[in-house]
Amino acid sequence: MENRHADAQCLIVADGDVLIRNALAEYLRHCGYKVIEAANSDEVLTALRRGTASADAVLADAELAGSINAFELRIRLREEFPAITTVLAGSVDAAAKAAGQLCDDGPHLRRPYEPEKVVAHIKRLLAAVKRQAP
Amino acid sequence: MKPSRAGWSADDQNKDQMVGERNILLVEDEFLIRFLISESLRDEGYTVLEATDGEEGLAVLLSGQPVDLMITDVRMPGGIDGMELTRRSKALAPARPVIVCSGHLMSSEAAPADIFLAKPYLADALVKEVTKLMGTAWKTDTQTRSA
Repeated sequence: MENRHADAQCLIVADGDVLIRNALAEYLRHCGYKVIEAANSDEVLTALRRGTASADAVLADAELAGSINAFELRIRLREEFPAITTVLAGSVDAAAKAAGQLCDDGPHLRRPYEPEKVVAHIKRLLAAVKRQAP
Repeated sequence: MKPSRAGWSADDQNKDQMVGERNILLVEDEFLIRFLISESLRDEGYTVLEATDGEEGLAVLLSGQPVDLMITDVRMPGGIDGMELTRRSKALAPARPVIVCSGHLMSSEAAPADIFLAKPYLADALVKEVTKLMGTAWKTDTQTRSA
């Protein structure tokens, strides 16, 4: 098995909406990051406490679900993992913009599209689900 | 510049799958299992869409993103369990293979899944089953294109 992440920086993308989470995570992987996906605050803490990875940053939805909310999560991370930067995003646009900034500052593997394209992609996916939902 | 992942064309936004890519939807509510399996599959070159329950899995299936194979747990929180999700996937795309993983089900109860894997299982065992279903020709395509 190849080791894809020998020197890659690691991010945790935490969002309760699967389509947003998947899209942001894939975008950041394209930029060269190792990305862990978390659906709620408990999964973020599990990832870090169980030593799944030593993340450099957490990009979280400000309305993240879980036993603690996103703001409490940021406080908890600051206490337990002070080296980790936590970015809270209040909207899809803000999350994509934050991901774009991480790409600018990050590994620069490649950057095939702008954050606006990520938002447009997410909106198309959400609209498709809405159209097909019974 | 054309991106390498399906469904991500920045130019024409088409959802056509590019040669050399295989997209796997992994539906698993246990974070550590999901993490381990998704990383094992990514190490083999697959694109993995992670979903934490049946409802998320269905949202991915309905989103129009290419999904070549689905792997799902059976018992998960929410209104759609893995078997219901399997039936929905087969209704949407009958030819799309589904691997069902469960610690509570007998293999005879896993229809219409293509493969049943009893929990606990090794990540390598799952990757082998995925390789059986997906083949390896697509990896050759990738190598050919990048050569």
